[in-house]
Amino acid sequence: MVPPVAVSPLIKTARWSALLLGVIYGKQRFDYLKPIAEEERRVEEAEKKAREEQERIYKQLSEANSDTILK
Amino acid sequence: MAQAVQKLVAKVPTLVNAAVTYSKPRLANFWYYARVELVPPSPAEIPKAIEGATNIIKGFQTGRLGQTTVKDALRNGLVATEVLMWFYIGECIGKGGLVGYNV
Repeated sequence: MVPPVAVSPLIKTARWSALLLGVIYGKQRFDYLKPIAEEERRVEEAEKKAREEQERIYKQLSEANSDTILK
Repeated sequence: MAQAVQKLVAKVPTLVNAAVTYSKPRLANFWYYARVELVPPSPAEIPKAIEGATNIIKGFQTGRLGQTTVKDALRNGLVATEVLMWFYIGECIGKGGLVGYNV
């Protein structure tokens, strides 16, 4: 088997510090994005309710106004 | 249905054994290389790393970097890309998922 190569210390420090920085960056970005996503979900819920209310009223009105002999 | 489940449950130990016998030499191989190549730097190696970084900067200033062969430059580029990829692996660990942020 090929003997394991001796990696230069610069590469070793660079690798593991990049790993550490990546973990910190991922955690911070997640914490930043989480409340924004929750706010968006809340706003979407409220808007969905308002939209369905509108659709219900529209349907009721259109049913009342349509004059067909099929009823 | 119950019989099929029983047969499957009876086969699990053999499957686990087969997986263990398959992976043992490969794991040993992996450890053999990883224990030397992938370990974090010991505190004694950090000043050497700083010295290596200053060497590179000095080489850039003296123009010595312009004399690297294309083969060496490609090899260094590959090593640099690998170091950058460790950052993205760290980001995946930090955000707790592989694809995208599960907010």
